[in-house]
Amino acid sequence: MWYELFKFEVTYRRTKPETYLFFLFLFAFSVFGVDFVFQGVELGLVKKNAPIVIGKVMGATTGIFMILTSMIMGMPMIRDDQHQIAPFFYTCPVGKLDLLLGRFLGSFLVLFLIFCAVPLGMMVGELLPWRFDSEMLPFRFVNYIIPFLTVVLPILFFGAALFFVTGTLSKKLMVVYTQGIVLFVVFMLTKAITDEYLQAVLDPFSLTTITQFSKEWTVAEKNSLQLTFSGILMVNKIFWIGIGFLALGFGYFRFNFSTTLKSGKSGKSKTSVAPTDKILDINLPSATLRYDWRSQVIQYVRMSIFYTKYLLRETSFWAIVFCAVLIIIVNSINLGTVHGVDSYPTTYFIVAELQELSLYFFIIILLFYSGELYGKEQEVGLHLLHDATPVSGLVTLSSKMTGLIGIYLLLMMAMTLSGIVFQLTAGYYHVDLPVYFSGFFLEILPFLVINTFVAFFIQSLVNNKFLGILFTLTFFILMIVLKVLGIANVLFDFSGGVLPPYSEMNGYGHFLAPYLWAKFYWILFGILLLMLASLISGRGVDVHLKHRLSAASSNISQKTQIVASCISVLFLLVGCYLFYQTNVLNKVWTAKEARIYRANYEKAVKQFEYFPQPKIVAANLHLELYPDHRSYDLVGEYTLKNEEQSPIRQIHIQKLIEADITLDSLSFSRPTTIDNRFQEFEYFIYELSVPLKSGDSLLMHFKQTLRPKGFNADGIVNSVLYNGTFLRNNEFPTLGYNKKYELKEDSDRKIYALPPSPSKAALDDSHALRLPRSGSDSHGLRTNITIGTNSDQTAVTSGKLIKKWENNNRNYFEYASTEPIINFYSILSGRYELFQDQWLPQKPSDHSPVDLEIYYHPRHTYNLERMMAGMKASLTYYTTNFSPYPYQQLRIVEFPRYQDFAQSFPNTIPFSESIGFMLDIDDSTDIDMTFFVTAHEVAHQWWGIQLESANVKGQNFVLETLAQYSALMVFKNHFSQKKVDQLIAHNQDLYKKGKAKAKQEEVPLHMVENEEYIYYNKGLLYMYNLQKEIGEANVNSALKAFLKDWNNRNGQLKSKTDRYPTSEDLNSYFERYKTNMIRADGTQMHR
Amino acid sequence: MNKLLISNLSKTYNNEVKALNNINLEITTGMFGLLGPNGAGKSTLMRIIATLQDPDEGNIQLNNLEVLEQKRQVRKVLGYLPQQFGLFPKISAYDLLDHFAILKGLTHKKQRKEKVHALLQKTNLYEVRQQRLGGFSGGMKQRFGIAQALLNNPKLLIVDEPTAGLDPKEKNQFYYLLSEIGEQAIVLLSTHIVDDVKELCTRMAIINQGRVVLEGDPLVLIEQIKGQVYQKTIHKREITDYRSTYNVINEQHYLGKPLIQILSKSDPGAGFQSSNVGLEEVYFTQLSK
Repeated sequence: MWYELFKFEVTYRRTKPETYLFFLFLFAFSVFGVDFVFQGVELGLVKKNAPIVIGKVMGATTGIFMILTSMIMGMPMIRDDQHQIAPFFYTCPVGKLDLLLGRFLGSFLVLFLIFCAVPLGMMVGELLPWRFDSEMLPFRFVNYIIPFLTVVLPILFFGAALFFVTGTLSKKLMVVYTQGIVLFVVFMLTKAITDEYLQAVLDPFSLTTITQFSKEWTVAEKNSLQLTFSGILMVNKIFWIGIGFLALGFGYFRFNFSTTLKSGKSGKSKTSVAPTDKILDINLPSATLRYDWRSQVIQYVRMSIFYTKYLLRETSFWAIVFCAVLIIIVNSINLGTVHGVDSYPTTYFIVAELQELSLYFFIIILLFYSGELYGKEQEVGLHLLHDATPVSGLVTLSSKMTGLIGIYLLLMMAMTLSGIVFQLTAGYYHVDLPVYFSGFFLEILPFLVINTFVAFFIQSLVNNKFLGILFTLTFFILMIVLKVLGIANVLFDFSGGVLPPYSEMNGYGHFLAPYLWAKFYWILFGILLLMLASLISGRGVDVHLKHRLSAASSNISQKTQIVASCISVLFLLVGCYLFYQTNVLNKVWTAKEARIYRANYEKAVKQFEYFPQPKIVAANLHLELYPDHRSYDLVGEYTLKNEEQSPIRQIHIQKLIEADITLDSLSFSRPTTIDNRFQEFEYFIYELSVPLKSGDSLLMHFKQTLRPKGFNADGIVNSVLYNGTFLRNNEFPTLGYNKKYELKEDSDRKIYALPPSPSKAALDDSHALRLPRSGSDSHGLRTNITIGTNSDQTAVTSGKLIKKWENNNRNYFEYASTEPIINFYSILSGRYELFQDQWLPQKPSDHSPVDLEIYYHPRHTYNLERMMAGMKASLTYYTTNFSPYPYQQLRIVEFPRYQDFAQSFPNTIPFSESIGFMLDIDDSTDIDMTFFVTAHEVAHQWWGIQLESANVKGQNFVLETLAQYSALMVFKNHFSQKKVDQLIAHNQDLYKKGKAKAKQEEVPLHMVENEEYIYYNKGLLYMYNLQKEIGEANVNSALKAFLKDWNNRNGQLKSKTDRYPTSEDLNSYFERYKTNMIRADGTQMHR
Repeated sequence: MNKLLISNLSKTYNNEVKALNNINLEITTGMFGLLGPNGAGKSTLMRIIATLQDPDEGNIQLNNLEVLEQKRQVRKVLGYLPQQFGLFPKISAYDLLDHFAILKGLTHKKQRKEKVHALLQKTNLYEVRQQRLGGFSGGMKQRFGIAQALLNNPKLLIVDEPTAGLDPKEKNQFYYLLSEIGEQAIVLLSTHIVDDVKELCTRMAIINQGRVVLEGDPLVLIEQIKGQVYQKTIHKREITDYRSTYNVINEQHYLGKPLIQILSKSDPGAGFQSSNVGLEEVYFTQLSK
């Protein structure tokens, strides 16, 4: 008997279009599965079709589409009720086991066949044009089959069992929908488990399990070993399959023919009111019926409230909210973590966290309840009553949509409230209501609203809740894919962009206006969609699409036509405005255009890469900053000196390639003729009529302006901002070829027939050995920089502040170098408070005092003392152990958190808002990362500023690893060994993680290019061991000697050569002590 | 005086079933009964009049409104209670009635409140107004349906098979309510129960297989066949013989034996006795044609 039911189930499904639709849908998704699941994740050397990658993509895809599983498996028993044939079935002589087994196995077979789309789609995905050979293994069928069997099949079985049983027992569609979500919540909750083993066992989709399973694998093994049914994976699968069987067993015992007949509430006794005759005497009052626009507004408002209240009565809605709250509670502990230390629960962190955690739930609510609200009347059979009323279709649809938006608003207010409670209980009292407001109502709400328009439109088009939800989901995924593929045009960038992270210094800055215009544009589009939806949604019983479409034209009233035309015109106008702002005032580059330009640049100009150029020996700049307009006027004078042996005939000028920046004039103190051949690349060759002889100098005068126009889609942050300007000197004209414009990725370079380009030159590259950074224009220069800025801002740059005045209601600052500095300085301006102190040497005769300054955003006072302590301790240690500090000032200057790093320039250290200022350091448990980062940056005043290193492999070993070492020694002197151990463990952890993600095989430390995990983390560990091995004093002596020989100013070896030191030079100093130590021990030498 | 004029109305469904075949009716204020067996096309006709479906051909006028064109105008003066409907189970009677009041344009807050209260009392739902509709019995649901239909003082009230599921007492009250409304408005009542029409309607039409087979005042129609109906108790095996000899309009059982009724201008003799003539006999006469 069960076999008959099984056959019936399969046959039934075979006739249903949904079955094929689900298959196609999964197939289409799986083609892009790797791109979607591993979006933004570095695979490193692991190939995109390695078994473990395939396994994870399959696991994640199955997880994401649990909802399909629930729709397929939850339905069979509900179907009987829906079609009201349950009584027939249940009175037939069918055994309980036969019925359940037949139904379950039939549906499960269908489910299995549908999910075969996943491996099939992924296999086809191998053919996508952006799957480069270098990222792929040769195609192997078995690599797909094994993960499908070991990962996907058990998940499917578990999901099938669970959903079948819940569907059977609850008989409620909404329960069927929500259970997929509940399972997802379980998955999220497992992420909060700290015990890795337990986490791996409990993860229903086996993602952490696979990570755990392959933890000890090398890259080669990751590319070859299969996800066999063994180890932790087996434990995980047996656990979930077991739960599946338990669910089935439970369902079998609880299921019972008679009770299921009482569907839903009908089991309870009905209330009834006995008829009375009193009612006959009641007279009905008359009431005016109004249909004018004011009445329609009232209808709209009242109905919106009605639908919001309606949703609030849905149990499933509260189930979703409950899940969301659970997840937020579990996750909200980590806020703005930097190097393992939490930040203060400042409002923007809380908001960002809440946004991230709630967005998924908002989308779920959007998907389901748009379908639920759209077709609710029809579903309960109220639609004929509703459709016979004179209410306009547009009012109905808008109020349903507004009802849903009302839910979003309520949830956002609830989140704001809980965020505030969280802040207050954490003892943080600076509640920033406007940030809550903008975080939810500016950043999330417009996105949701625009997509809700779409959801309602799709519902009205297909007029079927299931399909509507599925199509809306497809639409969302399609939009994500389009974004990944890089749709550059603002007019087609659906729902507009996103805001940058909120900065307490600069708010959303100039990003807000373009953002709001784009949202406005799409909301108008949404309104048009909604009007269209109301026309085609149909009324009454003729719901066939063809009929609804033909009726639409007759539905359209003249008023609607006028309103729709007005909105269309407005939509077009806003579109034109946006287009004008982004594409006419600015040039929009597609990624491809930019690549071609870069390739052409290299092909045209690289011939001049090492063309002898004079060097800048002095810079006199007058910079007028206009933060309110984000613009500047710069008048500059460079003194250029021929430091080569032979005369120089040509001076090559590269203007920064940036449309907003204009080089208004450029001239030399000698007559020149200009060669404009490379104007396309803003590269100009000035031919000197009289060559510049070796040792001779000339002056270069230039005027440059920055005038941002319109909406710049690139959203450059590294520029003049309303508050917190931060620019570097490479913004000004440079000399000769700029390697930074080259294409970096070898895969891109190959397309344009360019040879691979290592990010750092070889250790014996004679050109690069002579440069401290790519295309360096100076071996040291004197600066005199005058900066004018707003009256409420302070401007800071390298050098000594020699004058400060006000003129024309503007602030002016003149900074000058007291001795030559490296050609690497920055200019900052903001509304700063100043925290000052002074460092005094232990013995006044040893060193002159240093003025310490921190320019900070008024509210960010939390860690000023730590920074100050870090600066002092660093100066003490470095001056004692390395060499004197060459300046009389040391400054930290805050800049907005659009970028998070700190960077050392001569005597000035810009420090991101996000990196040290906001950390909430608990000295009993945390590492004082603010102190450590400060010490690291101060160390660069030696490693990088007093001593530069050749721009070849290993450069970062000299600069960054030594800064890490120096900071570590300061840290060691200042904190307990326990803290040091903690810091070491933290770096070990980062090193491992970095290594796992690395795209290239690990290189030795002294050959390091730009791999942070090597030069920062491994470097720190290496140096820590070295100083343990040969002693801190010996390491310091080696470094002292290294500095003495190689510093820029008067290094004994440096002044005899035109090259810069390398990691090999540095190592040779260490070697001396290693040898000495070994000899002193009397042990045998290993070399 | 309201007037509903239906002319040449036809509707064919996809499966080639002619649901309505050239219907012509003129209906004025008062109760109008639409009688016919299940599947005769009554509900289709009523949905078309209620603006919820479009006919293939024909025309409907309500006073000076073109029903098929000016749907929105018609809906303003329309009350409609379909044969089958559901309610939001988790909403209270009061809230849903208030919602319908809004839908119908009762946007004046105080008036709406008064009206909703009065209608809840009128339909005897006032006591349970805060209860969820999911717990309502069939009769209460039906009463809620009539309450919402009356919110806008309709000039045209369409009720499709309204008494199904009502107990006799409820049914009487319901009829009372309808006839009260019939004093001011057109009440179009469809049913397959002859008694309903007999008790209530001053005019009626019988629809069968999409056609109006008879139209008029029930009393006049009864008068027309008075004395022409005869009945006889027979044996089961005789039925076919009688069918071929007489115009048998009805076969039923009386005390366990088949009882047939025939239509005959003159006394057929042969044991037939003259039968009382009511609307039921009129109905059967028409259906057997």
